Amino acid sequence: MEIVILLIKVFVVFNVIMGLASICTWVERKGSALIQDRIGANRAGAFVETDVFLLKPVAFVVRWLGILGVINTLLCDAVKAIFKEDFVPEGTSQFMHCLAPFMAVLPVFVSFAILPLAPDFEVMGYHIRPQLATIDAGVLFLLAMGSIAVYGVALAGWTGNNKFSLLGGLRASAQMISYELAMGLSIVSVIVMYGTLDLFEMVKAQSSVWGIFQSPTAWLSFIILFIVGMAETKRGPFDLPESESELVAGYFTEYSGMKFLVFWLGEFAEIALFSAIIVLLFFGGWNIPFVQLPEGAWWAALIGHLVLMTKIMFFCILQIVIRWTLPRFRYDQLMNLGWKILLPIAMVNLMIVAALKVF
Amino acid sequence: MVPVTYYLTLSALMFTLGIVGVVIRRNAIVVFMCIELMLNAVNLSFVALSRLVGNLDGQIAVFFVMVVAAAEAAVGLAIIISLFRSAKSVETSDANQLNG
Amino acid sequence: MTALFFLVALVLLISAVGVVASRNAIHSALFLVGNLMSVAVMFAMLNAHFLAVVQVIVYAGAIMVLVLFVLMLLNIKLENQPALGKLVIGLAGLGGLAFLWMMVPLLQRSFAAIPQSAVDVQGSVREVGKLLYTQYVFPFEAASLLIMAAVVGAVMLAKRRYRA
Repeated sequence: MEIVILLIKVFVVFNVIMGLASICTWVERKGSALIQDRIGANRAGAFVETDVFLLKPVAFVVRWLGILGVINTLLCDAVKAIFKEDFVPEGTSQFMHCLAPFMAVLPVFVSFAILPLAPDFEVMGYHIRPQLATIDAGVLFLLAMGSIAVYGVALAGWTGNNKFSLLGGLRASAQMISYELAMGLSIVSVIVMYGTLDLFEMVKAQSSVWGIFQSPTAWLSFIILFIVGMAETKRGPFDLPESESELVAGYFTEYSGMKFLVFWLGEFAEIALFSAIIVLLFFGGWNIPFVQLPEGAWWAALIGHLVLMTKIMFFCILQIVIRWTLPRFRYDQLMNLGWKILLPIAMVNLMIVAALKVF
Repeated sequence: MVPVTYYLTLSALMFTLGIVGVVIRRNAIVVFMCIELMLNAVNLSFVALSRLVGNLDGQIAVFFVMVVAAAEAAVGLAIIISLFRSAKSVETSDANQLNG
Repeated sequence: MTALFFLVALVLLISAVGVVASRNAIHSALFLVGNLMSVAVMFAMLNAHFLAVVQVIVYAGAIMVLVLFVLMLLNIKLENQPALGKLVIGLAGLGGLAFLWMMVPLLQRSFAAIPQSAVDVQGSVREVGKLLYTQYVFPFEAASLLIMAAVVGAVMLAKRRYRA
């Protein structure tokens, strides 16, 4: 029975990742069209007609999905990617070239294992804690995974075997290790604030007041983490590693077909991951303001899960809107922001939080 | 429960590989990596012995070894970069001049 | 548990051999990453959870990324000198074996005499942190000074010198 529960948890977590990533893909495609005053994908499936009476509702749904671009962005893109030629550049190890996309995606997917996705509940006599792995180090595990994520990118840039890929890989790894420091410090200040490493306990501590209002400087940690999140996903104004006007596509220039799709999926999963971390740390997780859900009921857990997903989607959409609004930073501006602005602010913030905790 | 001796044997093997690497490799960065290998072998035996003895002092020692390794990486790589600037190579046999 | 140990030990030894034996320095570095990760798994198996995480953050996440970064920046691929003679490699191997032979009695006698402690130490974040900030607080502060010196030293060494 324990194994069955574990398998169900794995299934649910995997679906949450895939669901969030695919919704983000759709929002990115249609949302960017909305922002740029275009229409966006609206062709595939939009002209499905049928004469069979029973199939009319199906055709109606397909037509609307097509007009909204869902079929185009989710189905057609995937099928196209699967059938494209799988290209490996000359002069690199084929194994390394295949390894890179997985190294880029693995840490993101593994990080989801420790995120609590709903309040704990009891069903059929089993007490279920909707978190795949409960480990002692808790939030530190997220930092560890974040630091491994650099390898996929660096490897992709190196195995591309051309200068643009290598430059993209170098830029990406430099950017990621620079911003990791500020991320670590702001997460440490959150740990000091709650006095625990366990994400589950952190969300429980926010049942009456959201984390962002619990300490006078919590909003500073939130802003730092949000900026760092956008820099770590290498999007938004921080997309120097893949800047198409300078480096073709940066570190994944040489990737095509399914391997490119894996990078693409990892990028959106990472957006969802950072949104989830922000929601769990600062915005109350599954807690609804001024409403107290009963503890232990399965329907309360379901509502909590939906609330959590809604909040996560809000931050995903916010990141996508920022990505399509702001122009790209210059490289020195990027480094100055990371080292001379975010890092000192994060340090001072940590000191303030620690001082408030002690006195 | 795996006996502690297994961990110690593994650590000895790893340490030996590190020594052999330092002796036979001539790329300064690879030599540096072999030193890291040796440090890790020692760390492993520290943690294993910490369990054997039953207190945490060994783990604290590993923490400080990691601190030293991080400092060593920063300075060592800086030295390798300045070696590359003066000798145009990172082979240890090319670093044979006193003035740079 | 024992099966897991032997599996991880195998990965650890193969990757350690890979570090020493591969001609390409970047392959060496990637093998070393595999090695460090399996050491982290070993730490977790020995209940040193905090050290396992720190191992990943510090070694795999910081030191090895720095090494890879330097390797890519300098763009050195193969060692450009002819490989060492078989004689030298053989001698080095013999030296290694001699070293191992020296360790064997040490492993057999010294540690077999110490009884396995009944207390199963848990290297959780709380326990290690408590020890680090009470009994070992002075070395901890000294370590921060060491890192400060290393940062300054690294900047001074890697900075381009302008000849007067």
